[in-house]
Amino acid sequence: MKSIGKLEYYWWALIAITLFNTFLGEQFDSTALVSVLVALTVMYKGLVVIDHFMELKQANRPLRILMRSYFIFFPSMIILTVLF
Amino acid sequence: MSKDLSNNSLAIFPSSWSEKRAGRIPGNIPIWVGILSELTEFGIFFVAYFFAKFHYPEIFAAGPQSLNTTLGVANTIILLSSSYFMAKAMANIRVDNLPKCERYLWLAFTCGCLYLAVKTWEFHWNDLQGFSTNTSEFFTVYYYMTFNHFLHVGWASCAILWVIFRLRKGAYSAKNNSGLEALAVYWHMIDLMWILIFPLLYVLR
Repeated sequence: MKSIGKLEYYWWALIAITLFNTFLGEQFDSTALVSVLVALTVMYKGLVVIDHFMELKQANRPLRILMRSYFIFFPSMIILTVLF
Repeated sequence: MSKDLSNNSLAIFPSSWSEKRAGRIPGNIPIWVGILSELTEFGIFFVAYFFAKFHYPEIFAAGPQSLNTTLGVANTIILLSSSYFMAKAMANIRVDNLPKCERYLWLAFTCGCLYLAVKTWEFHWNDLQGFSTNTSEFFTVYYYMTFNHFLHVGWASCAILWVIFRLRKGAYSAKNNSGLEALAVYWHMIDLMWILIFPLLYVLR
């Protein structure tokens, strides 16, 4: 079971990252740097939810790998779009 | 039901299979079949989004600026909070704190309802601006993705009500909570999908 403090920490971190992403999107023109930053933060948010809220960090390995791969693949597609 | 069968709820694995060796499966196997199907469905949406964005870059650059970003951010915070409440509900059932578990489930349910209300308002706001599924390729993808997600939040919210009902009937405890955990992982999956949808439709130009 996760300690109570950790869940709160991740909750606030996820909200802070969401607000940061929105700020980036609203304040800056779409640049490669903005897209890469958004992609990396989305990847981090996904992995936090998968590891700590879904509790897959210490769970079944194939499920963990599958879920993590999903959240590495699609944010990577955002970075890929920067190249085209 | 024997102990072996409860660990291998679909009886699809060889008898030598054990959860102890394979690693714990949060919830149960059937819910993961559902979750992986949903991930495939949303995966197809995301691939369609990237294809469409590649072919219509100007339309997809302008699209997010037409949307009400405040409502999108509000819904993101609501869903992240609901995931936190669900994780807290799980933490409390594991120590047999049923009243607190129920309280967190109600909070998660409230978040689900709030999300649906905000999203309904957003669809109405779009309508007032004259946006529809036929406005542009961006809006076709936007409605396809967000309405589908809306439906998922809707039926998962109903499932929270069912779990609360079962909790009150004494169906869950520290030792027996796989049904509750199955709903929790499904709910987190819905949150995960929104984590991807939000930047694609509201942030990235």
